[in-house]
Amino acid sequence: MGLLTILKKMKQKEREMRLLMLGLDNAGKTTILKKFNGEDVSTISPTLGFNIKTLEHRGFKLNIWDVGGQKSLRSYWRNYFESTDGLVWVVDSADRLRMEDCRQELSALLLEERLAGATLLVFANKQDLPGALTKEAIREVLALDDINTHHWCIIGCSAVTGENLLAGVDWMLDDIAARIFTAE
Amino acid sequence: MIRRIWQYIYTSLLRSWLKWLLRKSTGTCELQRICSGSKPGATMTKKAEYSLQSSKNKVLREALETSKENVEKHVDQILKEKEIKPHSDQLFKANLHICLLQITGYNQLYVCVEDLRKEVFNSDNPKHEAMLLKLWDLLMPTVKLESRVTKQWGDIGFQGEDPKTDFRGMGLLGLLNLLFFSENYTAESRQVLSRANHPKLGYSYAIVGINLTEMAYSLLKSGALKPHFYNSVPGPPELKDFHQFYCYLAYEFNKFWVAEEPESIMHFNQYREKFHNIVKTHLQDPDVSLTLNAACN
Repeated sequence: MGLLTILKKMKQKEREMRLLMLGLDNAGKTTILKKFNGEDVSTISPTLGFNIKTLEHRGFKLNIWDVGGQKSLRSYWRNYFESTDGLVWVVDSADRLRMEDCRQELSALLLEERLAGATLLVFANKQDLPGALTKEAIREVLALDDINTHHWCIIGCSAVTGENLLAGVDWMLDDIAARIFTAE
Repeated sequence: MIRRIWQYIYTSLLRSWLKWLLRKSTGTCELQRICSGSKPGATMTKKAEYSLQSSKNKVLREALETSKENVEKHVDQILKEKEIKPHSDQLFKANLHICLLQITGYNQLYVCVEDLRKEVFNSDNPKHEAMLLKLWDLLMPTVKLESRVTKQWGDIGFQGEDPKTDFRGMGLLGLLNLLFFSENYTAESRQVLSRANHPKLGYSYAIVGINLTEMAYSLLKSGALKPHFYNSVPGPPELKDFHQFYCYLAYEFNKFWVAEEPESIMHFNQYREKFHNIVKTHLQDPDVSLTLNAACN
């Protein structure tokens, strides 16, 4: 039995996952986290530093890290890469002006060695806003089809209404679980 | 469990017997004893509030729901209900009046603050825009803003090139607090900004301010600010009193942050929570009055 197998077995027992949620400022990361956790989302202020929540979902223990997205904080993102099972990239679908910025930040992340094994979920957030780009349009702008280093999926959602948040997280859990909890 | 049972017995039975006994022996009702014998401020007003809330008499309970303009009328109704002649106990009438102004004023202040919080910052509203530009001028008197959308906003601690998205859940309330601090404590706010712009110990001045607005708002909403307002405002607390409390938080948080020397801004939430607990502890003190006092520092 190799070391990797032992590690896999250990994780299997705990069924614990670490998810890292990143994106530009005002993408809606904290709102997604709070909505998913059933909290009030009407009084959120900009995130300084990070928020972490541990919650149970479908028998998994999820540790979700939500790190602030403002430019001066992005250099700290790398401090949170270690042992990440899933990367949630949140996009403000209505912020057309910063889509290029958004693409660059994501592609830089995908080159990170410590995120190499992570599953990527792209949340095309704020679908409830008029003028929001569709998830197909965002898929194109972010050049997601060029990604062959990570399992990925894009889902249109609205953190405010809660629409599709569950669908996104469930896809991610299935993908991660198939990868790390299935015995070889 | 035992405490709960005791509380139940006390509120449902013992309290009313005790009140009856005291009423018979002293010849005064509970409200009279509170409003003539307690220390004015939070001690008296909190007791009066509890007494009115738990009263079985509708007239007394309804007085808590009234507005500033109708307080006088409700005081008279209470006197009538309790069969107290206004001339026989002038102090009681005056104190009850103040208590009711403070209690109902607090509730009205919350409604007013909540409305401002819900009002979204709107770039198409010239008044909103003027306030934002004024904030810049007050904080950065020697630097001109190059354009409305610019990286310069980062210099006063907004996240990006356009501050409008940073107001989020705190809406106009966040901007009004920042502006009030700069208008009324111009020197102090510039001092806080310059410390917040420290290359190593720094933090984003404006968005930390918006986070502190959230702290002030949640303390108001939970009722935790009652003792502070009951002690510091001898009447209905107004919006400016809420802004004053924000100024206290903005100034004190800065001192706290500098003294704690956090490793980086990434630890903000941990220190925010620590500061929040300190403020909550202060608010437990019945004599609390939290005002910005720059002279002492």
